[in-house]
Amino acid sequence: MSLSPDDRLVLARGVRVRFDPVRNCHVLLAPERVLFPCPTSVEILGRLAEPRPFGELVAGLAAEFDAPEEEIRADVEALLADLVAQHVVKVERRVA
Amino acid sequence: MVTREPWREPPIGLLAELTHRCPLACPYCSNPLELTARERELSTAEWLRVLEEAAALGVLQLHLSGGEPTLRTDLEAIVARARALELYSNLITAGVGVSERRLEALAAAGLDHVQLSVQDVDPEGCDRIGGFKGSLARKLAFARAVRRLGLPLTLNAVVHRHNLDRLERFVELALELGADRLEVAHVQYYGWALANRAALMPTRAQLDRSVEIVKAARERYGDRLLIDFVVPDYYATHPKPCVSGWGRAVILVAPDGRVFPCHAAHTIPGLDFPSVKDRPLQWIWQESPAFQRFRGFEWMQEPCRSCPRREIDFGGCRCQAMQLLGDPEATDPACTLSPHHGRILALAEAEAAAPAPPFRYRRLEERVAAPA
Repeated sequence: MSLSPDDRLVLARGVRVRFDPVRNCHVLLAPERVLFPCPTSVEILGRLAEPRPFGELVAGLAAEFDAPEEEIRADVEALLADLVAQHVVKVERRVA
Repeated sequence: MVTREPWREPPIGLLAELTHRCPLACPYCSNPLELTARERELSTAEWLRVLEEAAALGVLQLHLSGGEPTLRTDLEAIVARARALELYSNLITAGVGVSERRLEALAAAGLDHVQLSVQDVDPEGCDRIGGFKGSLARKLAFARAVRRLGLPLTLNAVVHRHNLDRLERFVELALELGADRLEVAHVQYYGWALANRAALMPTRAQLDRSVEIVKAARERYGDRLLIDFVVPDYYATHPKPCVSGWGRAVILVAPDGRVFPCHAAHTIPGLDFPSVKDRPLQWIWQESPAFQRFRGFEWMQEPCRSCPRREIDFGGCRCQAMQLLGDPEATDPACTLSPHHGRILALAEAEAAAPAPPFRYRRLEERVAAPA
């Protein structure tokens, strides 16, 4: 999956992420599924409650973690590909 | 009985069977043959307490089931408490008697997801399987209301010899309704389904075709529709990791408050399943002898005990071993490594090849009468 900066990303319908004090970690709750996202995924998912362009997501993460955008982009794209494949994040393609 | 350490891993899901009352009478219902009458159902206050205890124990998802859970007039209060406790609430409904206004109230209370059963895409078939006239039109109206309210929707299709030939149309219906998920679940033979096994068992050819249809649908519509698929045990190679292992992920509270690791656990003799009326949920989950009974691997017989798959499928289903072999510690005969597998496979093939007998519908009055 390749993302352009204008592709908008959003949590899939019915997905919630919260901290679980019993297990002491974040949990992702979806229809009939529970996933245990890694800390980076939690950072990404926390920014996708409303649709957000991929470019803006990467810029925001790069600023927050003081890292080059190129590096962040590659890591985030790989994680997003996985989250999209798992129906946790949806891509809204820019209509040309 | 060997004293064991309390089980520290928390359950993921609470299956709350709020009532056994139901407008439908599906012959594969997962409820026990002996149904609980309304007078013995837990009160609202008792259910709210169960939710508090479940959340504290580490439950993350609440599956509101039955019977038909919307027959409980306190369902909104139960959903609201689940939301307050940050439990993910899933309504498992037949969708035949639920008004749009009721659905709005449930959504407002914080309902997260709706799972709607569709017995058949053919109106007559749907009525015949559910034992309810005009059911499909009501279900479709309900599904559209779910989507209008913006709630995520799963269609649950229990499939068997009478509706498998229309499986492609189930996929089309899910797409047309804008469902997020489709569950294609071959009947699992417990309780009512076991009593109706000969009336429901598909042929191997029907099973194989369903596998192909699901594969093709996933390839074609995978980006829009998530499809879960459950194959029938009797034709399996390896057994299913039933409820992800006995007392490992799921805790079920029955309408009268008794607590079980699964739908069929009551069929295993010699186990005393405690009630939430008598014991805290935490003790029941972590320490009760019934929940401890098939945890770990010590109880296993060969070939399970030395099998590399024992941590994948936990020896399969204890209830199925009990039902088919009379021994709850035996290897689930769904497994090809069981010495009894050939016999149950032959049974399935013979039943599927014979004409289907009439359904024995799931009814409350079918409770076994006390001898005179």
